Amino acid sequence: MRNNRTISNRRHQKARSLVVLMSAILLAPGPVLPQRQRENRSDLSEDQRIVHLLNRIAFGARPGDIERVKAIGLRTYIEQQLSPEKISDSLAESKVKHLETLNMSTAQLYDKFPQPGQLIRELQRQGLLPQELAEVRRESGPNPNMEMQRSPAPQNAMDNEKVRRAIREYYEKNGLQPPQRIMMELQASRILRAVYSERQFQEVMVDFWTNHFNVFAGKGADRWLLTAYDRDTIRPHALGKFSDLLLATAKSPAMLFYLDNFQSVSPNMQARRGLQPRAPIFRPGAPNGRNNEMQRPQPQRARRGLNENYARELMELHTLGVDGGYTQKDVQEVARCFTGWTIIAPRGGGALQGLRGAVARQNAGTFFFNPRVHDDGEKIVLGQKIQAGGGIDDGLKVLEILANHPSTARFIATKLVVHLVADEPPAALVDRVAATYKRSGGDIREMLRTILYSAEFNSPGIYRAKIKRPFELAVSTLRTLGAETNGGPQLHRWIAQMGEPLYGFQAPTGYSDTAEIWVTTGGLLERMNFGLAIAGNRVPGTRVDLKRLVDNSESDKSETMDRLLKVILAGELSAGTRAALLKQLNDSAPSLAAPASSQMDRDTDGPRRQILRAGNVNDPVARMVGLILGSPEFQRQ
Amino acid sequence: MDRRFFLRSGGIALASISASLAMPSFLHRAVLAQAGVVTGSRRKTLVAIFQRGAVDGLNMVIPYAERTYYDLRPTIAIPKPTSGNPDSAIDLDGFFGLHPSLSSLKSQWDKKRLAIVHAAGSPANTRSHFDAQDYMESGTPNIKSTRDGWLNRLLQSNAQKERPLFRAVSVTQMMPRVLQGRAPALAISNLANFSVRAGQASARVQGGFEEIYEQVTTDQLGGTAKETFEAINYLKKVNPAQYRPENGAAYPRSRFGNSLLQIAQLIKAGVGLEIAFTDMGGWDTHVNQGGSRGQLSNLLQQFGAGISALATDLGNRMDDVVILTMSEFGRTVRENGNRGTDHGHANAMLVVGNSVRGGKVYGAWPGLKSDQLFEGRDLALTTDFRAVFAEVAHRHLGNKNLSSVFPGYSADGSKFCGFLGQ
Repeated sequence: MRNNRTISNRRHQKARSLVVLMSAILLAPGPVLPQRQRENRSDLSEDQRIVHLLNRIAFGARPGDIERVKAIGLRTYIEQQLSPEKISDSLAESKVKHLETLNMSTAQLYDKFPQPGQLIRELQRQGLLPQELAEVRRESGPNPNMEMQRSPAPQNAMDNEKVRRAIREYYEKNGLQPPQRIMMELQASRILRAVYSERQFQEVMVDFWTNHFNVFAGKGADRWLLTAYDRDTIRPHALGKFSDLLLATAKSPAMLFYLDNFQSVSPNMQARRGLQPRAPIFRPGAPNGRNNEMQRPQPQRARRGLNENYARELMELHTLGVDGGYTQKDVQEVARCFTGWTIIAPRGGGALQGLRGAVARQNAGTFFFNPRVHDDGEKIVLGQKIQAGGGIDDGLKVLEILANHPSTARFIATKLVVHLVADEPPAALVDRVAATYKRSGGDIREMLRTILYSAEFNSPGIYRAKIKRPFELAVSTLRTLGAETNGGPQLHRWIAQMGEPLYGFQAPTGYSDTAEIWVTTGGLLERMNFGLAIAGNRVPGTRVDLKRLVDNSESDKSETMDRLLKVILAGELSAGTRAALLKQLNDSAPSLAAPASSQMDRDTDGPRRQILRAGNVNDPVARMVGLILGSPEFQRQ
Repeated sequence: MDRRFFLRSGGIALASISASLAMPSFLHRAVLAQAGVVTGSRRKTLVAIFQRGAVDGLNMVIPYAERTYYDLRPTIAIPKPTSGNPDSAIDLDGFFGLHPSLSSLKSQWDKKRLAIVHAAGSPANTRSHFDAQDYMESGTPNIKSTRDGWLNRLLQSNAQKERPLFRAVSVTQMMPRVLQGRAPALAISNLANFSVRAGQASARVQGGFEEIYEQVTTDQLGGTAKETFEAINYLKKVNPAQYRPENGAAYPRSRFGNSLLQIAQLIKAGVGLEIAFTDMGGWDTHVNQGGSRGQLSNLLQQFGAGISALATDLGNRMDDVVILTMSEFGRTVRENGNRGTDHGHANAMLVVGNSVRGGKVYGAWPGLKSDQLFEGRDLALTTDFRAVFAEVAHRHLGNKNLSSVFPGYSADGSKFCGFLGQ
């Protein structure tokens, strides 16, 4: 985001470039590749190593991927993937091109996708509320809550319907769209890129860091802020320096809002000035002393002061880890350092007036350091003194201390190894990755090299041993079948139904990366149903052409099956599973119905269906594919 | 092979020896348990209901004898109980009254089966929904790093030989934080949809999956799959779509009502349900909360009618059931400029059951005068929610390991309110 970048710190950048320079010297001859070792220790065949790699640093293989990697060699593939900026990605870009919100600024999103309740209050304040809306508002009042309720309360259904209709008409007349569209498009973009991008490792790491620096879309304004979070915060740094990523998240409005730092102000301020905290320069004022109704009533307004949420999670979850060696006192000190790190017009600038208002409106939802609410006293963080009067440098210094802390090296190394290698991370590998972190100044790419070129990564014990998370399962399903998808809402619902709604995890811990959370009765059942729905072409907006996969429908049944198994599981499964599948296939002859193409592109934001239909899967080949997709083997990567 | 699966395999042998009907093993064990054969006692059930979004406890259970209540709530206060005025509070004890939209619960109160704990909640002073829900579900206020929920730790610590599949069920889309953890639990939003859904081919496809997963019995996937198929097969027999409530119970036609109806079904089916959970949202009434009628009133109407229907439907089975409600924090005593209320502190919790010492509002009442309020604005806390949870865990479910359920909290009997007998 423009503002993020202009308000940055020169000293900090200098320190960073020094680290970059040093690590460049240390790594002078290029990455050290223990090729010989790897080949000696690994019992995996070359094909298996390719499958393994595509499962872990990509979202599984598409038809033909294994051959393509084989042709260029594993090492070349890895190195290509580590430099995504050099990979042309026109297909994925063309798939997301129509998602207009992806390129909009947060201010534009606020303008075009206003919250209905907020809009109505603002129109009313300005005396511009249209008659129809004024009526319904008097009668019932639309649910003005910005917080996403887990289950919208069905109030008086009649009133609700009336309100909805009036609002819909107003939106249509004024070229506005409901805010749900924003998260719909963002989720679609995540799916489309994961499915179609050639920069697979980049997408895997975007998924990883998005979860590491989790932000919940249901928290207040965050659904307007996550588009920029994905585009400007996570993506540019997913394979860069951890310290850059950390700084980007610290300044991201999405995180500032999610963990409340945007309203954290110096506890001394009132004493110092002897008055209520004054509005930051860009804070929407209260013209003519009227209560500014544009802003949702803020419960915290009456007791603004230090908020420790961000400070605590920054250390516990983003850097040091829960046992990383900080105290409650450190939490308070860090919170003091970050006072004043806030957001311009955090809930949109719709109500802003005057010249200042116009500036703020254009910059609504961007980072802003407000020196007036910053605690400028001296602080001590993890034993290091931070001089009084540092302003924004206080927070930058904290981030530097944390990024250089050995606990951070270990914590990040552990999480990466758990994600890419095994639920039980091999200790020796974690040590080496942590050492790489220290040596390279937290260079994510270098840590990934240490992992991918390790003996542990290619050890047979971890081959197909990690349970896919639902997003990984969904995307790998589409990739393995070469499906066409628009990444639309039905897929979001399926992923949610399997247990991992995107941007839907409430707590800052993010989703678990280990099997026990994902292997549950309900979750497993929905995985099976998802495979059936996809195979049966029952997910609107997504289509598979199984005919293409088996191409000669006259072949022998077991040949058909083996071909499918080769495509989906590289032919690897137990004899027992194979026998069970064959029995299914023999129940009736394979006959390929034409895919239900009429359902393609008919996906809309229509009313939510209660049941995600898996549909009639009578076609034996579709049934077979559904069974393979739902098999234990395909749940693993 | 994990312990759970091993035990479950053992149970299958037991069932086949007894050569009863073609009853799934877990069900068979549950029946034995219910008959007192295995556990030596009847199965007790806790139905936990979360009001997400922070219900306004002061308008749910109204301290109508407090003058300040009316001073601070000029447009949303509920009038004092007045006979003939359907919009006035329903008197409980001369000091507190129920919101008129909770009239469905009055008979439970009169039968002394409804107890209320007022000014209860979390000692953490957060006013963030997500932090406060997190603490209420983890059962560890102010500690974020707790991995599991307190209901799950309750399951973990109640050592039992029998671990029926339907021991803990959340009737929600996702497994809630409060039930996440090592102990197995199910999240089923709709019993009727808990199946392999392949249209006419469903049975055949399910058979295929069962055969495939039989190949992997030694790992977590295989064990989980086995339980999944047992559950599917059982629910098919129960035929949840055909359920008819008893005793004239009328559940509200809403997700919440439907969730409670399904909990009743599971309890009646005798499948060993020990903990049931569901939630209801919409309580975050910052704007136009309404008074005797309006937004909050509509929600309470649904909420009370649901609980009342569940108790009615279960009839005598309520001897072994306790319904407990919770919400992450209360709301400001003073109404705001939008005729709503903002995030506050302590709240009211309801406890319903035939074994409950009802007809009484428990907990010390801190008062509403400005010097009695928490941080000068909110209802102060006099009962830690863990004391309420612990009392239910101990006295209703017989849990003896409260220190492992509520780490860092000494949940001894001296803290209990006494809404459940010894």
